[in-house]
Amino acid sequence: MDTIKIDDNPLELAEKIVEDIKFSKEKGLLKCVQCGMCTSMCPGARNSEYNPRAMIEKVLEGDESVISDKTIWNCFYCYTCHSICPVGNSACEVNQILRQIAISKGIANEEVSPFAGFVDLMMDIGLGGIPDNFHQDLIRDIGKEWEEKNMNLNKIREELGLKPLEMPKNSIKEIRVLLKKTGLDKRVNKLRE
Amino acid sequence: MYDKKTLNSQKLDLRVGVFICRCGGNISDIVDIDKLKSSIDADVVEEFENLCSLNGRKIIRDNIINKELDRVVIASCSPITHEKTFQDYIQPLNPYLMDMANLREQCSWVHGDMDKATDKAITLVNASIEKVKQSQAVDPILCQTPESAAVIGGGISGISAALSLAKQGVKTYLIEKKPSIGGNMVKIGKVFSPVKLAEECGMCLLNPIMNETVWHENIEILTNTKVLSTERRAGNFSILLESNPRYVDEEKCISCGKCIEECPVEVPNRWDDGLSMRKAIYKPFSQSYPDAYTIDMENCEKCGKCMKKCPMGAIYLKGEKEIVPLNVGAVILATGHKTFDPNLRPEYGYNRYADVITQSELGRIMGVNGPTKGKLKMLSKDRVPRRVVMIQCVGSRDEKPDGHKYCSKVCCMVALKNANIIKHKYPDTDVIICYTDMRTPGMYEKYYKHGQENGIRLLRGRPGEVNKKGDSLVVRVEDTLQKKFTEIETDMVVLSTAIEPSQGSEEISKIMNVGITEDMFIKETHPKIKPVTTDVKGAYVCGTAQGPKDITDSIMQAHAAASKVAEIMNDGLEIEPFVAEIDDEKCNLCEDCISICKYKAMSIKDEMIYIDPMSCSGCGKCLTVCKPRAINIHGNIDEKIFATISGMLKGKKEGEKRILVFLDQVGYTAADNIGVNRVDYPESIYIIKVHSVNRVMPKHIIYALKNGADGVFIGEYPGDLMYQEVENKMNQIREEIKDHGMNPERLQFSNVYIPYFRGLANKFKEFDAKIGSMDA
Repeated sequence: MDTIKIDDNPLELAEKIVEDIKFSKEKGLLKCVQCGMCTSMCPGARNSEYNPRAMIEKVLEGDESVISDKTIWNCFYCYTCHSICPVGNSACEVNQILRQIAISKGIANEEVSPFAGFVDLMMDIGLGGIPDNFHQDLIRDIGKEWEEKNMNLNKIREELGLKPLEMPKNSIKEIRVLLKKTGLDKRVNKLRE
Repeated sequence: MYDKKTLNSQKLDLRVGVFICRCGGNISDIVDIDKLKSSIDADVVEEFENLCSLNGRKIIRDNIINKELDRVVIASCSPITHEKTFQDYIQPLNPYLMDMANLREQCSWVHGDMDKATDKAITLVNASIEKVKQSQAVDPILCQTPESAAVIGGGISGISAALSLAKQGVKTYLIEKKPSIGGNMVKIGKVFSPVKLAEECGMCLLNPIMNETVWHENIEILTNTKVLSTERRAGNFSILLESNPRYVDEEKCISCGKCIEECPVEVPNRWDDGLSMRKAIYKPFSQSYPDAYTIDMENCEKCGKCMKKCPMGAIYLKGEKEIVPLNVGAVILATGHKTFDPNLRPEYGYNRYADVITQSELGRIMGVNGPTKGKLKMLSKDRVPRRVVMIQCVGSRDEKPDGHKYCSKVCCMVALKNANIIKHKYPDTDVIICYTDMRTPGMYEKYYKHGQENGIRLLRGRPGEVNKKGDSLVVRVEDTLQKKFTEIETDMVVLSTAIEPSQGSEEISKIMNVGITEDMFIKETHPKIKPVTTDVKGAYVCGTAQGPKDITDSIMQAHAAASKVAEIMNDGLEIEPFVAEIDDEKCNLCEDCISICKYKAMSIKDEMIYIDPMSCSGCGKCLTVCKPRAINIHGNIDEKIFATISGMLKGKKEGEKRILVFLDQVGYTAADNIGVNRVDYPESIYIIKVHSVNRVMPKHIIYALKNGADGVFIGEYPGDLMYQEVENKMNQIREEIKDHGMNPERLQFSNVYIPYFRGLANKFKEFDAKIGSMDA
């Protein structure tokens, strides 16, 4: 049996999310009536146990267990729910904020650490790229040609009259300084603990 | 200019009579009547135990006649209690030559100190004496409205309103843009009443009412006609109509239908939601009125074949638009609704899949006079659907672009009705209604349960998309109660589309300058207490032009609108004469008054500002924006306020505090309430009743402060149309007070509410204390 205690404020979590800088729909979240339109169009819901409506319901009930709920990691960030919600809520943004809370609590390393490679690449070459740990998946999904394209990238660019993809040394240094100033390197190291 | 105010009156030696009421001790226990009598300077001073009794009337009348009194002051209770009584008692004097000094609710009932209360009573009577000296004899303005009305829109609301007016003896013009009256109810097919738990034929209910309308001698039906312009003048609407040719003489046409056999043009039939075809010459529906064919010139090829065939020679292919003038006393707007365009929600596949239809189309399909003669069939194949899924709230309760935030109020009932009809006739067809909330208020709940008993299934969830999978359609929805993502396979999908304002409603609101809501419906004056009047005096609204509603509510509102019209027709319009008047010599046509007036009383007619006395509330806001000072409120209001102020400040003693409080009707009632409940407040509070606080000008406030008022308190009810204006004005006046070298804190502005009388008493106390703590 559930008891709604006389002095609990179930909206604390919702209010925290509404005030989050990432949240652009501050007028939407509290207006949710659980119609389920988000779930009806959600690829994550179709292919897994993730349910954006149920996630919002937990948020509105102040149920903090939603933060450690593993299914919230199945959102694709496709933003369909964001664009179709009849009351102007965004389950997708709520999801992102919940994930950030989970990361801050240190309970999401398993889900997030594979992505640390993106930051390493940025630090090393000053460019966004796909880290090695995803290469095998991409070859499996796209095919051999993806690997071939990678091997011969500079040659292909040369034929197209493009310069090689390289940042000037100084720029890479600057980017490194910037990323360190923002504390991104520390955050990534924390994920790897 | 503020120091010396010469008060002008027509006659310098006006004879004033003051009549004091003891009110059975209510006044005389606290106010020393003898001292009061001896302190008043008037031609006659009388006292009486109960002035409001018939004996009181005799005393007042005898004195007026024998002592030749010109003005009367009644020093008794509140004008809210007895003003009408004493206006009657002072006959043969004009009722506006009397003023009441409120010695009971605002003196003896709120003060305990006899000396102070008596002094205050003397001041209140003095103020009334000064005020009546400035009063003028005015007569109420009588507006003669012609006993005729125009009803715009010939659907069930317009028809009901017209019929009700006609039966009350009002000549009524029923104006309809389409070639027949009848409106949306014609297409519905079946209607139902939740009490009987049965569906009935809509046309069978509508037709007798239509016939009655057609045959009523007080109703003139104008079809193919729309409103071009309207002009309003004191209870008169001059309307210009554009009447479009029918190309078939309705007098000659006998509705034999030979013409349609000949016509080569086929177009989708709009009266059948485009589900069937009709010819370019056609009759909208069998029972349409006028009972004649009509040619839709957009599609006619003018081949002339129908003319040759017509045995009556009723057809003519050359016709001109006609401009028809109309003069009526009132207008009822019954311009109705349209439904949400399902193409705006492409995810539901309305234009991709033949078997995705709207509830309106389903109504046509199930209708015996519809495209399938009442058989439920899929549009893509010639068979009965195995399953029908209904999607609720399409365009309603939806804040996305083009959506409507409101609930359309009828779609749950419409869905249940059509679902029930399907279940009666085709029990093997599965019907699932996908809903967010079932809204079936009142008796409709019974019909909801009745539907469930018939096997209608309900799934709580708002579908996101309709797709095709193999042979059938698929509705994607989360069953929110099971918490399951679900795909429903179905043969047919029915969209319950929102009710939205018709194009006609939008057009007429622009033409007549009638206020609309944020949802573009025609706005009623007050959603609670004035549900059919609009902000244009003499124009009323009913039916779905005003907001989503069902047939029952539309008819009720139509009757309400008709009775509001009958009020002004039967009893004439007696308007308080204190309205704005304009001096055309001074007016420079800057139109500032037009833009500030929330009552829409000002307009330009023939290069002059015209003020409609019917619409003007006399609030006086226009005076404040009129730079050439061309506007004046009839009845000497300005001078009366000055006189009251100077009377209230008369004989002020050294060290005495006097605070003037200006209150409108609501505030004054709240102040009376303080007395009625015997709550006390300082004797320094002197209340002046004004029709609207807008009539209190900066000059009055400065004049009061310059001539001995220690503070000025202005109270207004926030529901007043002009409230925002007043609030803005206060800050300007504070600046002005500063310019005159006085403390702007001596002016206070506050909200008042009738039930919040204790709060008002506290505000008086606080303001009195605040003034007391100020130096100079």
